[in-house]
Amino acid sequence: MTQAIAEKVNMDALKRAIDEVFYSQIDSTTLYYFQSCVNCKACEVACPFTPTSLHYSPVNKAEISRQLYRYRFSIWGKTIGKVIGGSKKYLTLNEAETMVDYVWHCTNCGACMFVCPMAIDSGALIDLLRQVAFKAGMVPKIYRDIADLEISGKYWDVDFFKNAWNSLISKIKDAIGKEVPLDKKKSEILFYASLYEAMVYPDVLVKVAKILDMLNKDWTFMSKPLGIRPPIGLVIGDKEGAIKVMQRVYSYFTDISPKYVMMTAGGFEYPSLRYTMHETFKVKPTYEVVHVTELLAKWYENNEFEIEPLDEIITWHDPCQLGRRGGVFEAPRVLMKALSKKFKELPSHGVNSFCCSRGGGGCGVPTMVENMAKTLGIAISEDDKKFLDSTIEPLIKAGKIKVNEINKVKAKEVMTGCPVCIESIGFSIDYYHANSQVKHIIDVLADRMKVNKK
Amino acid sequence: MQLPFGYYPVGNSLYPLALDLFMPTVFFFFFGAAYRTARYFAFYNKPFVPYTSSLRGISTREKIKDLVNTFANSSKLGIKRKPVTTAAGLLMHISLIVIIFLLAQHMVFWAYYIPPYKVLFPLAIPESSVDGELAFTRASLPLTPTPYPFVHDIWGPLTVILNGQYITYLLMILLGIYLGHKFHILGERLALRAGDWWFFVLLYIDIILGFLATSHIPNNVVDYDNLLGAHILVAEILIATLPFTRGFHMFEFYLGKMREWYFTVYRRGEK
Ligand code: SF4
Ligand code: SF4
Repeated sequence: MTQAIAEKVNMDALKRAIDEVFYSQIDSTTLYYFQSCVNCKACEVACPFTPTSLHYSPVNKAEISRQLYRYRFSIWGKTIGKVIGGSKKYLTLNEAETMVDYVWHCTNCGACMFVCPMAIDSGALIDLLRQVAFKAGMVPKIYRDIADLEISGKYWDVDFFKNAWNSLISKIKDAIGKEVPLDKKKSEILFYASLYEAMVYPDVLVKVAKILDMLNKDWTFMSKPLGIRPPIGLVIGDKEGAIKVMQRVYSYFTDISPKYVMMTAGGFEYPSLRYTMHETFKVKPTYEVVHVTELLAKWYENNEFEIEPLDEIITWHDPCQLGRRGGVFEAPRVLMKALSKKFKELPSHGVNSFCCSRGGGGCGVPTMVENMAKTLGIAISEDDKKFLDSTIEPLIKAGKIKVNEINKVKAKEVMTGCPVCIESIGFSIDYYHANSQVKHIIDVLADRMKVNKK
Repeated sequence: MQLPFGYYPVGNSLYPLALDLFMPTVFFFFFGAAYRTARYFAFYNKPFVPYTSSLRGISTREKIKDLVNTFANSSKLGIKRKPVTTAAGLLMHISLIVIIFLLAQHMVFWAYYIPPYKVLFPLAIPESSVDGELAFTRASLPLTPTPYPFVHDIWGPLTVILNGQYITYLLMILLGIYLGHKFHILGERLALRAGDWWFFVLLYIDIILGFLATSHIPNNVVDYDNLLGAHILVAEILIATLPFTRGFHMFEFYLGKMREWYFTVYRRGEK
């Protein structure tokens, strides 16, 4: 795939992209990430892609951005560095190819930062390269097409999407036995979901609505989704596109003005809509963006409901973006412990949770991406097909580690809070024939909640 | 032999030259450190904090616990998943710190420039394990100008491990493992930087020079003076270039981990 992309590379565009990205994004944090790495390679152990090749270790991938940085921002880089090879003004075609390969072997999961003795977020440096690749037109077409659809807002013209969303609303209506509150301003809770979720786990969304109704909450749902999985642009390196989508999301949130925007997905949407969006616009929102487990844990601790426990070993997979990037570790555990006395932690959990290798930058299980493209009428080119196939190996390698951990704690059910984690761990469990199931926590919890009458 | 160094009367030995270059080294170090630090300030943008969680707050006690975890996490995980290099790395750091700051000879050197350093003298580590006495003060009254009773250390039988020679052997092995690691990286064609070699190789050479000098190999005064001088000179090159090399991590380590904790725990205010 990379070869095919490289043949179409506009070298001038690549040079411009390198200049723009590197000159515009330096701040004291990136400066620290650039210059303070001691090349100890401790980060290797955390990355879901190193089982595929040591070339995909965080420090090795980030080195390309360090070389570009050195040329622009360090005296050594401009002088001796040029001679001894530690700095580069631009990239050759081959190097650009390698860069593209590397950026699609990073999910921006953040695991490397926590294990790095210097706390360097290599994912952030690889993200800069992803932005370069995007600006230079080196993003796999299939991702760009899906992102473009989201940015333009034209996803709503796609019958398949419209039907999926409308059918979700009627399922919710059937489940709660009354009209679904839609776009209701000043509700306490805005139940936020994306089109992607409506397609991959509509039942989970229906159950969330049922819980809100059961608990008699003042809530509202969205008559139309705000994107396919907003802001997809952030994942493919399209910052400007992401800003457009975030503007749409922010203005809807502000218009509804709830107390909480509650999300079911704990993937990249969570930190993006909770932190990045407001940091980018420099606004202090009047609402708080939370994951469904955060609200439920609070209500559970307030005795609003009880949980009928299961009698089996269950475990929790911390989604990278909800946990490491989002800071939510405790709330799901409050619920998990109530769900079973036999709750066990995976050997890698919390800040060291091992990434399923699919999230931001892994962009889902390839078969699912292909299916989505097909339903959208996006042609899958030979290059795209090759690219998607190349993403299978890391999924299988990282999946092995995940499945071994699940087997080690003998968990019957793995619960989590992110659609992509469910998909990819599900894939690995099937692939390795593990005796376990993976579900969204709501899937199990909703059926075991008993509301306490006040 | 008169060494050609401008008008400087260095006599037959590198030793006085090395001593006289110590202050310029310190000056260079501070100059470099100021340059490096100034760059951080020059690129500093005040972060915009939208909000911290009001839903599930985190207590001060938990914040402090998390701070400790932030510092400990990389060693904890490293020991589990990469035991050999992590253990070698940790031990190397401890040995280096001990030998740089507590080896009796070094302590005398530091105390000469920073007199309050002498409060640490009771912790001095002897050069050899012979009997817990400091080898270089053993045969006669103190040979250095220090008036302190610098003979019996507090380490007792521990001196069998805690002595300059033993720690130096250990360091040579551990740094050897790291150098081997670098060659492995080279063989795998993974990213390796010139700065890695600079720091590691100089450190290795410096340790060997120090070892040869203290062990009197070869055993004559001229070589001793030159070896000791070279040992100090190489250390000076390391110190002067610290702000431009990976060596600066000895300061920035704290900065990085504090920043991680501030952003991920303190600023989000949730658990
Ligand atoms: S763990 Fe940190 S310091 Fe070590 S190589 Fe990786 S990024 Fe660099
Ligand atoms: S952010 Fe995650 S995927 Fe990317 S380099 Fe770091 S550990 Fe690997």
